[in-house]
Amino acid sequence: MAGPIINDTPTKTKERQITIDPITRLEGHGKIEIFLNDQGNVENAYLQVPELRGFERFCIGRHVMELPVLTNRLCGVCPAAHHIASTKTLDAVFSATPTETATKIRELFYMGQYMHSHIAHFYALAAPDFVLGPSAPANKRNVLGVVDAVGVPIGAEVIKHRSYGQKVQEITGGRATHPVFGLPGGVSKQISEEERAKMEEMAMSCVKFGEFTIKLFHDLVLGNKDYMGLVLNKDAYYLETYYMGMVDKAGKSNFYDGDIRVVDQDGKEVEKFRPDEYLDVIAEHVEPWTYMKMPFLKKVGWKGLMPGKGNGIYRVGPLARVNVSNGFTTPLAQKEYEFFKKTIKDLGVTGPLHFTLAFHWARVMELQYAAERMLELASDKKITSDDIRGPFGQPKEGVGICEAPRGTLIHHYASDKDGLCTKINMIVASTNNYAASNASVRQAAKALIKDWMVSPGLLNKVEMAFRCYDPCHSCGTHSLNGGPALEVNIRRKDGSVLKSLKNF
Amino acid sequence: MVDVVSTRVKKLVLGVGNPILTDDGVGIFVARELKKLNLPGVEIEELPASGLELLDMVVGYDKVIIVDAIRTKGGAPGDFYTLTEDDFIRSVHGASPHGINIPTALAMGRRIVPEKMPSELIFVAVEVEDIENVSDKMTPKVAKAVPRIVEFVAERLKSR
Repeated sequence: MAGPIINDTPTKTKERQITIDPITRLEGHGKIEIFLNDQGNVENAYLQVPELRGFERFCIGRHVMELPVLTNRLCGVCPAAHHIASTKTLDAVFSATPTETATKIRELFYMGQYMHSHIAHFYALAAPDFVLGPSAPANKRNVLGVVDAVGVPIGAEVIKHRSYGQKVQEITGGRATHPVFGLPGGVSKQISEEERAKMEEMAMSCVKFGEFTIKLFHDLVLGNKDYMGLVLNKDAYYLETYYMGMVDKAGKSNFYDGDIRVVDQDGKEVEKFRPDEYLDVIAEHVEPWTYMKMPFLKKVGWKGLMPGKGNGIYRVGPLARVNVSNGFTTPLAQKEYEFFKKTIKDLGVTGPLHFTLAFHWARVMELQYAAERMLELASDKKITSDDIRGPFGQPKEGVGICEAPRGTLIHHYASDKDGLCTKINMIVASTNNYAASNASVRQAAKALIKDWMVSPGLLNKVEMAFRCYDPCHSCGTHSLNGGPALEVNIRRKDGSVLKSLKNF
Repeated sequence: MVDVVSTRVKKLVLGVGNPILTDDGVGIFVARELKKLNLPGVEIEELPASGLELLDMVVGYDKVIIVDAIRTKGGAPGDFYTLTEDDFIRSVHGASPHGINIPTALAMGRRIVPEKMPSELIFVAVEVEDIENVSDKMTPKVAKAVPRIVEFVAERLKSR
């Protein structure tokens, strides 16, 4: 197979505004606007994303017990994360403590979500850049091109293990995609010994697949000087931000439960909070050019879309979780974490890693952890106990947080005495990352587009700056002619479009 | 002895969409109506996601009808069309920030597990009006079309 195409030949453009539409022509108006100055360099760039309209209104007045099933409809990509956050919120609303068995079942279910979500992102969305190259033609730079390059047997393994994640969700959660099992204080479905054994077998295979994926990442990215040149390009892909993520009592990364830790640009802990304290830590900034709010650290304040200690923007997701934690509780993921720490130490980095494209490395580490944790839980024969529901009290107000594959996910509901929802607030992972992903896009655009020189490869490299966050901005619509697409409009300074590029 | 089970054509209707996003749920609502008919030898499923989840669901069937929303230039809400995978060749996308779409997922299945993919797969694509506002009710024109779509799909299922 030919090597990946890292660079293509830029051509001179006369346009002064470049627009990348990353979501779809149907789902809304998610796009990147890049404005060029008189010299043909980037003056500014904005990532604009759509929001579904009316969800809060739809939920108010409904019984809060419906919310784990309704909120997971917000997203066709990570409904399990919404279901878990929502179920944990009901624990808080009903003052319920889930039983040990229920907690294990929920976490096992959740590892299934991580398996298929991280596999889909790494192999279908990130690998086209790593295998075929960021400047490969758009009609080849897709998951089918990856299968052609790496071979059908590897493609079949990808499909199989992604499907194992779905099956674990189906067995534990009642449905493969939109689960129905979460209840305050527990779950609705017990696991049989036969189901446990089946999941254990799948988890064993997933652990091996995790090892394979890490090796593939090492070979494709760490072993390729040109890629490492991109990854370590400080001008294009480097942001010194705060980081937020969930940790257990020992400071290890945890996706299901724990405290939320925030570290600064040097790795120093600046916040550690329980879910119901989130409003003391996070505030939201509104910009006139987008519907989505931009959360920031309240105590630090909002100074705009720039990195640095004086500005409260933070990042969540795989790299953030690695940066806020001491690693993982499982051996193979921890081994990779230690290799990661050693590698970055050799680069002179002792605190958090700020290179944006390192999100991909953190993601494959997490894939390994999810597989190992899945195996730990599925191997535990006590998980088949019938003790799946704990007591619960009268409804009130509550907050639940989990780590979605894309980052910290916060649900907050208030209920009246009859259990009817009177208030709902959610901060989803991609919203937490919104300010930082905007800053990343701006930085990459400024570094890569110079002197009017633009090419599809360069624009894809700008998109790579936010694709690595695994953004999930417009959740919910799946129309046939929707789906992911990329549109690039190049505009004059006055905003008029001069040229358009599309991958659909 | 003839193995009756293995020679039977396995049929699936898959309603795709989000049932709380106004008309985006039309595929789901059609699937629910079809389920009430208890059509013999036909499985009816709902899929509120897209991409690779869809691939998981269609493998192993001989004949699959996917009912989903569509919006085309000049299309009238409630109109519906039958389309095949070939109609979506241009929709097989490059790397994207979000996910892979239905045509890409199906193309991947044809590449990786061709022997398990349906020999007949058609889309019933329904023109929609509103897929931006959260609601569990379709707009009137799309809702009115549902019985016709159900009748059409049921008829298509009769052919072997």
